[in-house]
Amino acid sequence: MFSSLQNPRQAAAQLMNFGLILSTAFMMWKGLSVITDSPSPIVVVLSGSMEPAFQRGDLLVLWNRNLYSETNVGEIVVYNVKDKDIPIVHRVVRKFGIGPDAKLLTKGDNNLSDDTELYARGQDYLVRKDIIGSVVGFIPFVGYVTIMLSEHPWLKTAMLGIMGLVVVLQRE
Amino acid sequence: MAEQILDQIRDVAEGQIDFEGQKLAELIANVALSVVGAIAFLVGYLLQDIKLAVLIGLGGTALTFLVAIPAWPFYNRNPVKWLPVGGGPQPLPNLVVNEKSVQR
Amino acid sequence: MYSSIVRAQNSFGFFTTVVFVVASLIAVSDLLTPRAPAVGTLKTTNVQVVRGRPHYYSSKKEEYAVIKFSLDADLSSLFTWNTKQVFVYVTAEWPATPAVTGTPSNTTLNQAVIWDTIITAPSADHLANIGPAALKKLQKSAAGKSIDPSRGKLSIKNQRPKYQITHPSGKIAETDNVVLKLHYNVQPWVGLLTWNQDVDIGLWKQLKGGLSKKFSLPAIKKKADAKV
Repeated sequence: MFSSLQNPRQAAAQLMNFGLILSTAFMMWKGLSVITDSPSPIVVVLSGSMEPAFQRGDLLVLWNRNLYSETNVGEIVVYNVKDKDIPIVHRVVRKFGIGPDAKLLTKGDNNLSDDTELYARGQDYLVRKDIIGSVVGFIPFVGYVTIMLSEHPWLKTAMLGIMGLVVVLQRE
Repeated sequence: MAEQILDQIRDVAEGQIDFEGQKLAELIANVALSVVGAIAFLVGYLLQDIKLAVLIGLGGTALTFLVAIPAWPFYNRNPVKWLPVGGGPQPLPNLVVNEKSVQR
Repeated sequence: MYSSIVRAQNSFGFFTTVVFVVASLIAVSDLLTPRAPAVGTLKTTNVQVVRGRPHYYSSKKEEYAVIKFSLDADLSSLFTWNTKQVFVYVTAEWPATPAVTGTPSNTTLNQAVIWDTIITAPSADHLANIGPAALKKLQKSAAGKSIDPSRGKLSIKNQRPKYQITHPSGKIAETDNVVLKLHYNVQPWVGLLTWNQDVDIGLWKQLKGGLSKKFSLPAIKKKADAKV
């Protein structure tokens, strides 16, 4: 495991390799961001308000360009509310007007009432620029790891423990 | 003493297999996983049953892991034959390297 | 591949590749299944406009419309093994009033969902957010079936709307050229989400029908009749 530290050239190569993996991932993320025109092209579902369509931990692929038509009623959008950090995934249920100033109202399929109460104080509707993308693709369950790790911190400890065990049990 | 016990645990955990076994394990893992995937898709599509497809996929994968990962005896049937330490025959004179070349 | 850990890592790595490929195939297999959704009837049965508080959080009184409707539709071809649920919704659409928005009235667009329903596939029944008794009944209705296209056949008579429609201006009475429109959204287990189309795409036909006759919203009803 640590034998590479005795050989600086090999250690440097490993470091480069690690850096390459990180930068490749970062480039793909940012590239996807440019293609979809969304600051966050892939999101993990964190709440059950769109059940049974989306469970917690599902991955959603977003698209934020209006090539053929405007963002319309029935689309599932991810939006940010002023002064709140957590993006919300809900369905557009009302739209008044057209263009960038059209007033949009959203609602979770699993919620009884619409999102008026989730919006900022004095805000009754969303506009197009509050939306960071419409859901176009769906991959189930894959994001659940991140939810597990953030909700059960002991899992991180357990993972470190397993990694340590692997190191101890491995011969050099 | 503790070192010996740790060594034994390491042996079990490490599960070393010989070169032929490594080739075989890799072949089994890749072929079996591909076949399981294909069967899961075809059965699921023909019966229009996605739950069945997931079950076949996960079950087949678990079986494959069970076969391919532990160091089963049949992965160790071609152990490497090391030359005996020091006790082997002396190198033949015509193989001595710092002479001019290998002669007949 | 010399040790168990390396074999586990490599096998798991190849497993993820297989999962990715199979999931892609499942998503693509959707395209091989023809879709021919059709709406038989979609018509209003009773339209009222009331002045009151349409929501419990409404701070001011405003006009809202209650549109009852009947619907006959066959969406059974949307249910394949990769269908998790079909979200069916009926919208009311009417042109923007020039006085309110300044846009010409033929560029439509006010849209509001008046009713929706979630039709789960049998493979997703356990996720449905309904009471335990209803869930049991739902699961029993598809016992032994992996898909149940008959759930896509809708026949609804004189349905009360789930949502009263309003307009940000607070005025909605005597609006002309309102139509009801049926839409659907197919939610897959993996792959792309799809909506009703206006054109044929491959084996997927456009939604036949799905538009009601144009109608006008009446004047405000007397308060005595209003149900708030």
